[in-house]
This record gives sequence, structure tokens and C-alpha cells, in this order.
Amino acid sequence: MNAHAGTTGISNLEGHTGYDIVWPWTRPEGLRSGSTAVLRVKDEALSLPFVLPPLLRSMDHVLVVDNGSTDGTPEVTTSTAEAAGLAHKLTLTSYPFQVARAGAEHLAVHELSVHSLSYFYNWCFAQVGTRYSFKWDGDMVLTTEGETSLGDLGWQIGDVQSIIRVPRHGLYLDGTSHAYLDLGLRNAEEWGYPIGPDFVFTKAFEWEVRTTPEPVRSIGLPQGLCVELKYLDGDEFAHWTDPASFATSYRNKRKRREWAVFNALQAGTVPDGVHEIHAPAGVHVVDHVTREWLPRAPRPLEVGTVVTSDDRRVPELRSGIA
Amino acid sequence: MSDPSTVDPSALDPEEYPRKVLFVAGAGRSGTSTMAGLMQILGLHVPKPEVAADATNPKGFSEPQWVVDHHDRLLKEALVQVSDSRPEAWFETGRVSTREPERITTAAWLETHFEVSRELVVKDPRLSWFLALWRVAAVRTGATPVFATMLRPPAEVVGSKQTYYANKLGSAHLVASWLNMLLHTERGTRDSVADGGRVFVRYADLLDDWTKTTMRVGETLALQNVLHANSEQIRDGHRFVDPSLRRMSQSLEDLALPPRLHELTAETWNELNKLAEPDGDTPAVHEALDQLREAYTDLYAEAEAISRSSVVAAEQRMKKPSKGPGPTPAPGPVANRGADKVPHGVRKLVPPSMRRGLRKMAGRSR
Repeated sequence: MNAHAGTTGISNLEGHTGYDIVWPWTRPEGLRSGSTAVLRVKDEALSLPFVLPPLLRSMDHVLVVDNGSTDGTPEVTTSTAEAAGLAHKLTLTSYPFQVARAGAEHLAVHELSVHSLSYFYNWCFAQVGTRYSFKWDGDMVLTTEGETSLGDLGWQIGDVQSIIRVPRHGLYLDGTSHAYLDLGLRNAEEWGYPIGPDFVFTKAFEWEVRTTPEPVRSIGLPQGLCVELKYLDGDEFAHWTDPASFATSYRNKRKRREWAVFNALQAGTVPDGVHEIHAPAGVHVVDHVTREWLPRAPRPLEVGTVVTSDDRRVPELRSGIA
Repeated sequence: MSDPSTVDPSALDPEEYPRKVLFVAGAGRSGTSTMAGLMQILGLHVPKPEVAADATNPKGFSEPQWVVDHHDRLLKEALVQVSDSRPEAWFETGRVSTREPERITTAAWLETHFEVSRELVVKDPRLSWFLALWRVAAVRTGATPVFATMLRPPAEVVGSKQTYYANKLGSAHLVASWLNMLLHTERGTRDSVADGGRVFVRYADLLDDWTKTTMRVGETLALQNVLHANSEQIRDGHRFVDPSLRRMSQSLEDLALPPRLHELTAETWNELNKLAEPDGDTPAVHEALDQLREAYTDLYAEAEAISRSSVVAAEQRMKKPSKGPGPTPAPGPVANRGADKVPHGVRKLVPPSMRRGLRKMAGRSR
């Protein structure tokens, strides 16, 4: 694995020395306690006003790395944090290189290239100054319970070397007051990781993967704490080389489910496990789902049995089993 | 039901108060019972049954028995002690708090008691370990959690614990546990989207003038029962609060702590005190407490590294088979006789027939 080649950092193949990676734990000032959410974003201006406020409230710090947005994502990032009164918790930076799309394009790129997903992730997480980190997407919105859960675990984790899995559910938006929530998929991916030499990114087949020591602790949060926004009028699969890239492997079950739900809804069919939700007048459907519908839904939340690869990795997967 | 946000609270019927649960946190022997007891007198509901009063707390604990049992079980699951000085213990109790079955159980219990009253008070010395769990339970029951953390000088808490609980762990361990508890309780009660606020209350202030102190708590946390308490409840409050309850007057110097622990404890107490002042809950104090928490974590890690041999030795003792060949005890004519540990005067009171029976059971001739 090339990511471990350097003890203090790694250099890229292209010689862009300004974007060489210095591991944050080797810095003279060291790491401080707390958690940082790291968002690598491209054209997420529509979602960030929903994503950032709960994340800024629950984390010690939020790092947004823009990667070539053309829709005003950096400006929306700044204005959203300011409107929430939490600009002091935000760092906004940019990564100027085009990054390979997931799938075949990614597989073709060397992991020490600035165009590699794994190099990009390593560079992003090298900017973190806290001892713990959460990988986060620019379209993932925490519910009220999700926000309090991450807010508490974010400081409780301290120096403990544990992974945290966060289940999420696709929320397919049809305008501002109507959406479809997919609870047909049981999906809990590993989002929380300590910052340290045991937990860096390297290359997997379709995307990057974070290294872990053996054995490693892992805990999972309950279902119903996070939704992933999907726009029925948008191109939700632009970051993939093509649909054939996730057509066969078990690893891509979640992506295939998203493809199936997205296309069924566009064709006017509501698949099993998908809930149609209308927001009350004057309330955005994202706010309704994350602040009312999901927090008050009966527990245990009825979630389907389609399981993703990360769930398989932990055979005893149940909420909170460490 | 009316929308509480659009109604004058003073015009509300208690049946229409917004659902709220007051969590009284802090180290044991810090006045948590006095605070919870006062809240109960002023109209907040302590879920029944309660833990019975005893000699350590003759005025009662105002603790729901279910909460005590629930926390005891969860602490055992997490392998955490009530007085635990390990910073990482917070993750262990936090981990248990993420479990869906525990969230369901806790929320269901809260729901049943909201059917009795819309303002509850929950107190237990173990509570701080599970604030995250209770916060979730409040969210799930449509309630607002609010927090009151009691503050008492650490030397008095330690002195009180040693007196009342016959604690043999030593001052340094108890003070370290106090530091761990208070530094992390402060962190755990910082503003969260679900919360309705927090207060820090000095035990001394509560005993000195409970009316002023509880009104500040009621106003800050918008506790309707406190704001609308009647005269008889106030009289009961005066009957309940006994300024002589604060019997300990030990100072930190009396504990002869390791210097760094002494310094951290004094600084932490100084910062926590600021939180008890009006408008004292500021980012500057949070920042100072963050640094103290970090310093305590470092100190604990150093102590843990230095004392590693003690841990290894303890592990070896645990692994050692309890049965098997071992040194044979030296035979002694009377050393193993349990009866010889009983004073002669008492032995004489046992009837001869019974003495014979006991000798027979022990396989002894005489």
C-alpha cells in the first residue's frame, strides 16, 4: 500500500509539491481533542443549507473541501455557516485537480496521483486538526436524534480507537414539500474514524477504502438518524463512470438499490420499503422528515433487509454492538 | 392541546405545560438530592417508586428506583464504575447509549411518566454517564431536556463520600473521579439542538437562599411548576432545606493530593464556579474547561503508563487458577479454628448439646 510509504507524509506522482500530504499527527502542535466532519463537495449548493447547520452544531469543526463546483457551493457554504452563527467552526478550502469518478475511471488511476480518489481523501483528512474525524457527504442530513447522537459521541470518543458506523436512508425529493424516504435498504457505512497512521486511505476497486488495524473496534448507531438527499430532477449518478460500473459486484448493492428506486420513482412507481411523505404547509420536506417524521417514527424503525457490504463486514451488526 | 409557543405560559393549565424533563446531574454528595427534592416540592414529578431515605440521606433521595436500577445495569454492561476516573469511560457508557433497545426502553419509561405529569425531574448520581441516552429519550417523547448540575467544592464531596460511604479508595482517586465527572458533565450538557438550557448551581447557594436559587433555575429552564409554585409549596421548601446539611468543611489542601492533580482540581473548580454566575456560561469558560479536560486526559494517560506494571500484575492474578497445587498451609494446633475467633464469654452461651453438634459438623472431637 503506497499510502503508508512516508512516515511524515506522501508526495504525488505529478510533482505538485503544494499538494503533497503531511500527516497531521506529525505536526509539531499535534492533534487536539474533538471531532471534525470532512466534506468533499462538488456542486452541492442545493443541499448544503440542510446539511451544514446540524453538522456544525454537533461537531467541533467542519472542513469543506470544494472540488471544482460551478454552482456557487463555496459561497453557499460560507453564508450557511454565517447564518447559523457557526462560521468559527468552519474551514473552507479547495482541491483544484479533477478527481476520477467512481468505478472504472478510478480503477485506472494510480493511488499516488492527485487525480486519485484515495490521494484526494488523504489530502482532505490531512487538513484535520482533531483526533477524530467523520467522513461526510455534501448531501447527508442529520435528524434531530442523529445530531444529538453524533454531538455526544464526538466528544465521548476521546482517544478511543473505534470506528463509528452511521446508517443513512435515501430521501428522494420531488420539490420542496413532497419526497420519498427509502427505508427498504439497511445501510450502515463506516463514517467515523480516528486520525492516525492506522487509518489512512488506500485504493479499492471502485473507490477508496480506509485502512484499519487488526483487530479494530466498531460501533453502529441506530437506524433513522441520517438521510441522503436525492433530487428526482437531477443527475444523481454523475460521479460514477457509468451504471455498468456498479452493475454486478456485491459491494455496489446500495448503488444498485438507489438506481432502481430513482428510476422507479421517475416512472411513477413507489417501490416496496419506500414511504411517500408530504410536508405540512410552510415546512420544507427535508426539515419535516429530519425534525419530525423520523425522530417520532415508532422504534425500532422498520427498515428493509437489503444489506450493504459494510454491514456484512460486521457479522454481529446490530445497533450499538461493539 | 394549544400550541405552547403561542400561549401565555401563566395562563396554561398544568395539563398543557410543554413536556419537559429536568435532569439533575453532578457528583454524588453535591446537593443533588436537595435540588431534586425542592423541585419535587415545587411541583415537578419524581417518577415512582422512589429510592427510600436512609441514614446517608435522611430527607430522601428524590431518585426514581427504576432509573437507579437501569443505570446500574448499564454501568455493568459498560464496565464502568459510578466513581470512575478514566476519560475513556465516557465512550464506554456512550457506546451502550447508542444501542437501540436501550433507547427504546428509556423512552418508553419516560413516556409512561409523562402521562402522570408534564414536567419531570430525574436524578441519580450515575446520571451524568447517560445524559446522551436521556437526551434521545426526550427527543423521542417530544419533550425538552434541561439540565441542572450541582457544584460543591471537591474537598467537601470527597470528605462527604468518605464519611458516608466508607470509601477506602483514597482521596486522589476520588478527586480524579470528581474531575472526570464534572469536566465531562459540563461538556455533555453544552447546548444541543434538543435542549432547553442548563444551569450550574452551587450547593452553598442553594442552602443559603433556596428561593433565589431555584427561581433562577425555574426562569432559566422555563419550568412552569417552579414559576407558578404556590405559598404552601414555598413553606414546604423552607421546611425541607436545612442549612446545616452542609456539614463538611474540608479544604483541598487537607487532601494532600499529587501536585498536578491538586492544581487541575483547583483550576477546574474555579472555572466551574464561573458557570454558576449569572451570564457566566460563556465561550471563554468553555475554552478554559476544554483545556483543563485535555490536561486531565493527559495526566491520566501518564499515570496509566507509569502504573502499567500494577495492571499486568492484576491481570496475572486474575488468570491464575483458583484451585490446584499450592503451598500447603502450615499446620497449627488452633489457627484454623473458627470457634477460637469467638470470645469465650459468647461460646459459653451456646448450649452443650449444640456445641457437640457444631463440633460434629466441623469433624472435630473437641
